[in-house]
Amino acid sequence: MPRSFGHILKSAIKIATQLNREKATGLLEFEVKELDNIFALLVLGGFAGLPSPPSPIAIELLPYMEKDLIMLLSRTDLAQDPIGVLAGMLDMG
Amino acid sequence: MHSTAFFLGKGGVGKTTLSSAFALTLARQGAKVLVASLDPAHNLGDALGLKLSGNATSVEPNLDALEVDLGYWVDKYLEDSRRQLKANYAYNVTLNLDSFFDILKYSPGTEEYAVLWAIEDIHCRLGPLYDVVVFDTPPTALSLRFLSLPTISGLWVKELGKLREKILTKRQTITRLNPDSPVAASCVDKDDDKVYGQLKGIKARLQALEHLFACQSFISVIINPDKLSVDEALRIQEELTKLHVPLSAVCINKQGVSDMEWSQNPSLARYPQFIYDFSRGGISTREDLLGIGADALAERFREASSDTNVKGKKPCN
Repeated sequence: MPRSFGHILKSAIKIATQLNREKATGLLEFEVKELDNIFALLVLGGFAGLPSPPSPIAIELLPYMEKDLIMLLSRTDLAQDPIGVLAGMLDMG
Repeated sequence: MHSTAFFLGKGGVGKTTLSSAFALTLARQGAKVLVASLDPAHNLGDALGLKLSGNATSVEPNLDALEVDLGYWVDKYLEDSRRQLKANYAYNVTLNLDSFFDILKYSPGTEEYAVLWAIEDIHCRLGPLYDVVVFDTPPTALSLRFLSLPTISGLWVKELGKLREKILTKRQTITRLNPDSPVAASCVDKDDDKVYGQLKGIKARLQALEHLFACQSFISVIINPDKLSVDEALRIQEELTKLHVPLSAVCINKQGVSDMEWSQNPSLARYPQFIYDFSRGGISTREDLLGIGADALAERFREASSDTNVKGKKPCN
């Protein structure tokens, strides 16, 4: 049985609202990912030769940073072209 | 109140001898005293005439002593972290963990932290059992590093805490605007974030140690009547000033060891001075240690202790 017009309209509004929400938070999410990456690099960068807190502090934080560590490794793929990623986010080019 | 005393100075000036004599004097006066050696090359047991370990051993009524085993503290710390990591991480991530932690044992800074953990343990666990805890410290370089660690690491922890707070605030904003965002599935609350909680815990521990060094400790620097030990004492004084750790006394040990003319440096002369003559016959028994005459220093410690007690309600600067 075909859906009522009201139902379709309601779904359309819901989808449009979600799209707008995602558009509104997309940049913020990108910023959070970057901050997460910076945090992980600051804490764990010492193991790769970057300036970092004394290693015992990193060791104390390490057991709680599994997600951060995984994210840090996945972000290395994008590390070569961060401007490109940002331009993609902003529909530039 | 001052319940902790540290003896600092160049290697060989007589830190172990004076800290043992000071602890023995206080113990004979009726205070319950623990003397702990933080020097990786221990000789506190030799000075007190018995074999010591990492656990407090009774030397005589009112006096216990221990020699901190830094290797034990490094191993214990790494083992705790390794266990915690294995419990929290997926199995495949922790496959090569053992070799990683074996290397970390030799990471720069680990030994200094081991000294800090040992001091924290002695202060918190054993401190309440004694009236006074006396620390015989390693030579200057290691001592200054562990004394400055709470301040330096505190700065890192403060900045990391700020960054973590910023991340959590932004995650909260995203979750409010878009509850379906993948970010909403991650931790958004400070109270639930384990990394933030851990940072807060480290900060509290470092602050407690900073407070112990700056406000609750009687710090004596020991010199000999020679240029090298005085120059090193000046560097200690300079570093302690930077860390806001006040110097409580200057002990001039081995006075008369040489006929060379010597006068006290004006920068060190403004602190209470305690002079100990060179023992030509050597120090081989506990009675010899008492013969050094640490009564005046013990008296100064008691005065400083009661003075801090009076000012106890004032916040530490």
